[in-house]
Amino acid sequence: MIDHYLALMKREFWEHRSIWVTPAAIASIVTLGTVTALAFAGDFAKELDVAIFGAQNIAGDAERRAVLTGLFLGSSWLFLLGLGVLTIFYALDSLYAERKDKSILFWRSLPVTDAETVVSKLATAIVLIPAVAVVAIIATHLVNLIITSLWVSMKGGDAGVLIWGSVPLLDNWLATAISVFGMALWMSPFLGWFLFVSAWTKRAPLLMAFLPLVLIPMIEGIFFRSTHFGEAVWGRGAKIPLFAHMDIERFFDEGHPQVSDEMISLLGHIDLGRFFASVDLWLGIVVCALLTTAAIYVRRYRDES
Amino acid sequence: MTSLVTARKVSKHFGPVRAVDDVSFDIEKGRILGLIGPNGAGKTTLLKAVLGLTDCEGDLSVLGLDPFRQRRKLMQQICFIADVAVLPRWIKVSQLLDYVEAIHPNFSKPRAGELLQQTKVSPTAKVKELSKGMVTQLHLSIIMAIDAKLLVLDEPTLGLDILFRKEFYANLLNDYFDEERTILITTHQVEEIENLLTDVMFINDGRILLDSSMDTLSETYVELMASGENAQKARGLRPIAENEMFGKSVMLFEGVGRERLDGLGEIRIPSVADLFVAKIKETRR
Repeated sequence: MIDHYLALMKREFWEHRSIWVTPAAIASIVTLGTVTALAFAGDFAKELDVAIFGAQNIAGDAERRAVLTGLFLGSSWLFLLGLGVLTIFYALDSLYAERKDKSILFWRSLPVTDAETVVSKLATAIVLIPAVAVVAIIATHLVNLIITSLWVSMKGGDAGVLIWGSVPLLDNWLATAISVFGMALWMSPFLGWFLFVSAWTKRAPLLMAFLPLVLIPMIEGIFFRSTHFGEAVWGRGAKIPLFAHMDIERFFDEGHPQVSDEMISLLGHIDLGRFFASVDLWLGIVVCALLTTAAIYVRRYRDES
Repeated sequence: MTSLVTARKVSKHFGPVRAVDDVSFDIEKGRILGLIGPNGAGKTTLLKAVLGLTDCEGDLSVLGLDPFRQRRKLMQQICFIADVAVLPRWIKVSQLLDYVEAIHPNFSKPRAGELLQQTKVSPTAKVKELSKGMVTQLHLSIIMAIDAKLLVLDEPTLGLDILFRKEFYANLLNDYFDEERTILITTHQVEEIENLLTDVMFINDGRILLDSSMDTLSETYVELMASGENAQKARGLRPIAENEMFGKSVMLFEGVGRERLDGLGEIRIPSVADLFVAKIKETRR
């Protein structure tokens, strides 16, 4: 059973090279950015020496950690953005391309049910794509840390203290992984919708998927003077109940930043209890399940000839 | 004999169109059945019903299974090549073999490898880099490496040149077919397969016109080439079809003993294609 799904997901990985090409491209961009920044930083030799000296001897551990965590977060966001776009295109293509190139009958000539096929595609979007992204994020962090520490060492800084001693790597990575998988789960109703459109539409899946998402809020606004649907759809991403309440004001208490380890820990900001207790999360999962079932039925009952 | 496929009053309609109309038949083990009919006759729909790709009315049982509801189980036992079931263009040959091996309990990858070695298909090539003939060879190699009880071929050689077509059927007969296996095949090029068929079924407008073994066929149908008075005499025996050829009359008889035609002209076993045309015309009369 598991072997079956592994083979099916491997197949997805072969077919959709963007699953690894996209994260690899983002990783290259981030790394290129680091290298460029370091190269240009050489123009400010004096200031740099002062900064490195300052970072090493004056700033506290917490401050150093805050800066590096901020940089990490910045690059992770880039991955998350790429991940979102990649997943939309993957899901829309997953049940459409096989009909367009007519390979669907070949796939259906093998002992695999329509349910297994569709679920394997859902699993690819919710598990495989995020997993590849997390690996890419970790690899990018490591590569960039190595490059930066080499550079710091060349400048006479102590990379051990400045870089490696200052990043809460595990905390950061674990939090990133939880956020990435959490976001995939949170956005799963959209995934279900895209899979359904992909299985159902005869042409232009991207248009067919987004047209209702744009038109329905407009119609709702005109006839009911309300914005429930639009908010539920377009506002969902920002409403993910994964993070504990962040006290931004405390951060800038008395006019200057108060940095403590507790605040820097990304894990500390994640509240899984709140996430899994959220009714909206489970509603979304139910919607995803219903739409995925619909996609299975369309694939099974539609006559392609 | 054991019946592999049993169809009783099977119908399938698309709106008002009856693609398959109240059809009943049996396919027995170890046979090679040719399903022959013009375009739009319902051949493909019938095959799809047998393969569990489409739902239908009536009772249809394939290897004792309900094809539509037990498709996964059924697909472990049967294989098909359809003109429209194309291999995905993006996949590499080696990936395809790995995938089928992981998915199919009755697939032998070494066997597929052996079969592919006899062709020019490279394991590292992508399907889109192969010619149509090579893609068919690849597909056939995979199918022949699956230990299946029933093989369904829907226009398998469409668009291939004559060399590939001949080779395709030769491979099928020599390396694949045995009394444990059954083949169901449709094609427009009837002449190329009629020698390998054991049974034939004609279908038109969703109905079966003829369902017979080739042996019975040659006993039941006789073709006579006659002229002049002899032709006139033969006409009295009510041929089901008559054509003019080289100034002679070519008549097709159903259920008329050879002894009654003896001396009237040249007697032959009709070709499946001629018989098919005659049967179609008969229904239009």
